[in-house]
Amino acid sequence: MAGVLGAAAKNSGFMTRRGTVIALFACAGASLAGCGGPITPDELARSIETLESTAAEGSLLAKNVADDHSKATFVRVHSRDLADEVQHEAEKLTDAEADRADLAAAKSDAIDLADRIGTALGQMQTAPGSESDARTAEQALSRLSEGAKKLAEGL
Amino acid sequence: MKAVLSIALGVIAAIGGFVDIGDLVFNAQAGSSVGAPALWAVPVGVVGIMVFAEMSGRIVAVSKKPNFVLVKERYGTRLSTFTLAASLLLTVLTLGAELGGLGFALNYFFDVSVNFFVLVALFAVAAAIYFLPFAGIERVFGYLGLALLVYIAASLKLDPDWGEIGRGFVPEAHSAAVYWYFVVGLIAAALMPYEIYFYSSGAVEEAWDPSDMTVNRANAFVGFGLGGLISVGILVASAQVFKPAGISPTSVGSVALIAQQPYAELGLILALIGILFAVGGATVDTAFSAAYNLAQHQGWRWGKRFRLLNEPRFTISLVGFLLAGFAIAQTGVDPIELTEYAVIFSIPVLPLTYLPILLVGNDRDVMGEYVNGPLARVMGWLYFALISVLAVAAPVLFVWTNGGG
Repeated sequence: MAGVLGAAAKNSGFMTRRGTVIALFACAGASLAGCGGPITPDELARSIETLESTAAEGSLLAKNVADDHSKATFVRVHSRDLADEVQHEAEKLTDAEADRADLAAAKSDAIDLADRIGTALGQMQTAPGSESDARTAEQALSRLSEGAKKLAEGL
Repeated sequence: MKAVLSIALGVIAAIGGFVDIGDLVFNAQAGSSVGAPALWAVPVGVVGIMVFAEMSGRIVAVSKKPNFVLVKERYGTRLSTFTLAASLLLTVLTLGAELGGLGFALNYFFDVSVNFFVLVALFAVAAAIYFLPFAGIERVFGYLGLALLVYIAASLKLDPDWGEIGRGFVPEAHSAAVYWYFVVGLIAAALMPYEIYFYSSGAVEEAWDPSDMTVNRANAFVGFGLGGLISVGILVASAQVFKPAGISPTSVGSVALIAQQPYAELGLILALIGILFAVGGATVDTAFSAAYNLAQHQGWRWGKRFRLLNEPRFTISLVGFLLAGFAIAQTGVDPIELTEYAVIFSIPVLPLTYLPILLVGNDRDVMGEYVNGPLARVMGWLYFALISVLAVAAPVLFVWTNGGG
């Protein structure tokens, strides 16, 4: 963003108000669109952090079920929302190109993690009132969140 | 009891403004991402809205003029039309997000489909607007939204590090852009333009006169103060529950999950009820604000204090804005993201919203003995300067931090 603004300033000698606005919206557009091209380590790390966060939240949700502290309808809807988020992230990762071997390996691991997080969340969606299933899901999701954390840190 | 009921306008304006669908999640994200160091931004925003709400209520009590009438009088046709267009665009986008949020909140109770519940929410809000008197609407949505006070109780029960909480209320310099993104967003969330449009028009609906100055102050200070406390509660509780676990909340369900940690099922239910009515209140705030602004700009007769069927233009615009919001919600756009964009991009409009209040509040010819005193004048200009800085900083930070991500 600073680069785009800086380039605009360099070309015109000064930032006109209109120039600033155009640069700002161009930046916003580029940032929202994700810019295209091969995935960068930062982008991959952000994506993996989303998986880490979703798995950790799923683990918390599962813990509440295991402790009999929740409502089945809420658990079913929220675990489905979390699973959708993971699925969306997995699709983004699958579509992304990695131009380095280490990034390609991390991307592949991340897709695998997403798949396993989605499976654990699906378990809760299917049986939102089962305390024993929830305990299993809680532990699995906690491990997967840790795994995602380590993967992101390694980038 | 009468005193408690008399602050409903401030409560619904504040709850609809501070803890609407986007702000609920934004506050939780601020807690999980930045934690206690972002706390000072909440009182900064809350004091700002208190200053301007008190001023606009006082102006209505003296002159009977709501905010958009002042905009039109002070700006002339071109600038007032621009202000109207910008405020309508952002308010209707927010309205769409709130209706979408109601769909999500209702689906947590019944699990049918979000789109179905958006339709249910549309009819429920329309029915409330048509059948309930203005005071009834304020009380139903405002006071039931106070179930969100569960977050204050939760933040206390989670026993945070009080030293850290105390230090969080003292502003400090940070180099991280994400920190400033959340600080700016928290301040801006308290100052959303539709809150002040709704508040000042609501004061006209309630026929305030100079004898209501105490009611105005109670609404501005207690009502908005409660909204601010709920924001603080969500932020602190989120910092306790989500930050250590590395969770970045992205949905209203995540926010409900926070209250569940200390209070189990009861916490979850109170949180969901509070969310439902707070978001319902925001839906009412935004629908009315859009219709009020258009009617006031066009010089139409407006207001719930008259029979809606006797004011066809106001009523048609109210229905039209609700339908536009419904259409936006039905596109499946994420209501959280939509309101976050609306908050950040409404900030550039803030100076245009607040300047006329300040100019009229300072005008002895209009206000007579109720003109701004030295404190209101100084605070008003200080906040106007702050709002002007935010107007530039907010979109830049939004882009720079990739929306705080």
